[in-house]
Amino acid sequence: MTETKQFGRTTLPSEQEQAIKKAVRWEVFTIVYTSITIAVIALVVGESQAMRTAWIEDMLSLIPQIAFLTALLFVRRRPTKKHPYGLHRAMGVGHLVAGVALLAVGLNLAIEAVTGLIAGEHPTIGTVQLFGQTIWLGWLMVAVMAVVIVGPVFLYGPAKSKLAPVLHNKLLYADADMAKADWQTTVASIVGVLGVGVGVWWLDGAAALFIALGIIWDGFRNTRTAIVDLMDQRARTYDSKNPHPLARDIVSYLRSRPWVADAGVRMRDQGQVFHVEAFVVPHRSKVSVEDIDAAAAGIADIDWKMQDVVVMPVGDLPDEADTGR
Amino acid sequence: MDRSWTSRRHRQRRWATAAIGLILAGALSGCGLTIPADPDGTLDSVSGGELRVGTSPDGDLVEVTRGDPTGTVVDLVDAFADSIDAEPTWTVASEETLVRMLEAGDLDLVAGGITPDTPWIDKAGVTRGYPGIEGADGRELVMLVPLGENAFLSKLESFLDAEVGS
Repeated sequence: MTETKQFGRTTLPSEQEQAIKKAVRWEVFTIVYTSITIAVIALVVGESQAMRTAWIEDMLSLIPQIAFLTALLFVRRRPTKKHPYGLHRAMGVGHLVAGVALLAVGLNLAIEAVTGLIAGEHPTIGTVQLFGQTIWLGWLMVAVMAVVIVGPVFLYGPAKSKLAPVLHNKLLYADADMAKADWQTTVASIVGVLGVGVGVWWLDGAAALFIALGIIWDGFRNTRTAIVDLMDQRARTYDSKNPHPLARDIVSYLRSRPWVADAGVRMRDQGQVFHVEAFVVPHRSKVSVEDIDAAAAGIADIDWKMQDVVVMPVGDLPDEADTGR
Repeated sequence: MDRSWTSRRHRQRRWATAAIGLILAGALSGCGLTIPADPDGTLDSVSGGELRVGTSPDGDLVEVTRGDPTGTVVDLVDAFADSIDAEPTWTVASEETLVRMLEAGDLDLVAGGITPDTPWIDKAGVTRGYPGIEGADGRELVMLVPLGENAFLSKLESFLDAEVGS
């Protein structure tokens, strides 16, 4: 990553450039933190299904970071003859992979939890010897879970959720969202272990099921978001909640050109940047190439996300074009 | 908007803390609950009563001739039974039969030449391995208890830590 400003067709504005650097640093931090977490939990995981599920969730939570860092290597590349739109879809592909992995493993864990509950498997949690003292392993589980929660909920979760809108990165957003929701996993696993502690054996399986359902829900949401973007739905905001306001900005910019009678736009999200097809109905049937080029350049200047802009003069706007009304 | 988000998070955290606190309070104070506890009350029923132990012959660890078995593991179990005022009654059978009885609730403990590599991990609660048992030829030995009887398991492990712990 020598050309850090290079981002497909264009270079990034300095705000986004800084945000990407920070995002990379947070992702690396997350990977290190999570790896330590996984190693520490491995020492205490024992026979508790809830702990095992939380542990596997931690392993799964590495996928979005790895996907983000890998995709970033690709999206920076310039478009070529072979890849005329650049490689921005790599982010969407990474998002899809993360979503499907969560979904598959989540389902597997939920089935495991349910069969364990139906079979009435009583989780066995014994003791460990620590500094010459024999203590119940459950206490260590609770302590470990209470400590490792600090990272996702207080450190990298909020940090990444601040960066995601700046970068318009849905993978990063989903990653941050899952990290911030990690306290639910922690509370569930603690409740499960303490449940076993007081002799309520099924609380462990119930907690495992709760955590697994959370993983399934994350997987479902991520898979859906990734797929609809890969299927070229109209560009939406980083949290997928609303249509992206830039479509309206483009249309009103085009309408403000003196030679334009009406305008509409088809805009799809390629990962972090948009592919824009702008349709304009000119007042007169002759349009100058300079006007078209100026309009395309004008659109690209509105926002760094507008990388690939085509302005097309037409007699009638296509029905599906977004006219910003 | 920002404020409502933080206050929601605070509220969530308070709920979480409250839930944990309640469980802890319930566990530690009233109801006479101890942590860990046995879902099926094994420790309670064997303390001051009968400890049903299963074993299979294994060298010096467990010798079966006439009457009750003898050997180092048997001595260890007798001492454990002593520590909880229990009277051990012995069943000698194959390991598979013993594990089935343990699962069915007909035994409280299986002891003998069983190592941490035991395949019964899904059928029984397994203690930690203890290397200091005489006659084990350097093997670490474990004992089997009913699944999920964590108070009983912890009591047994604490005893073994004190007797033959590393």
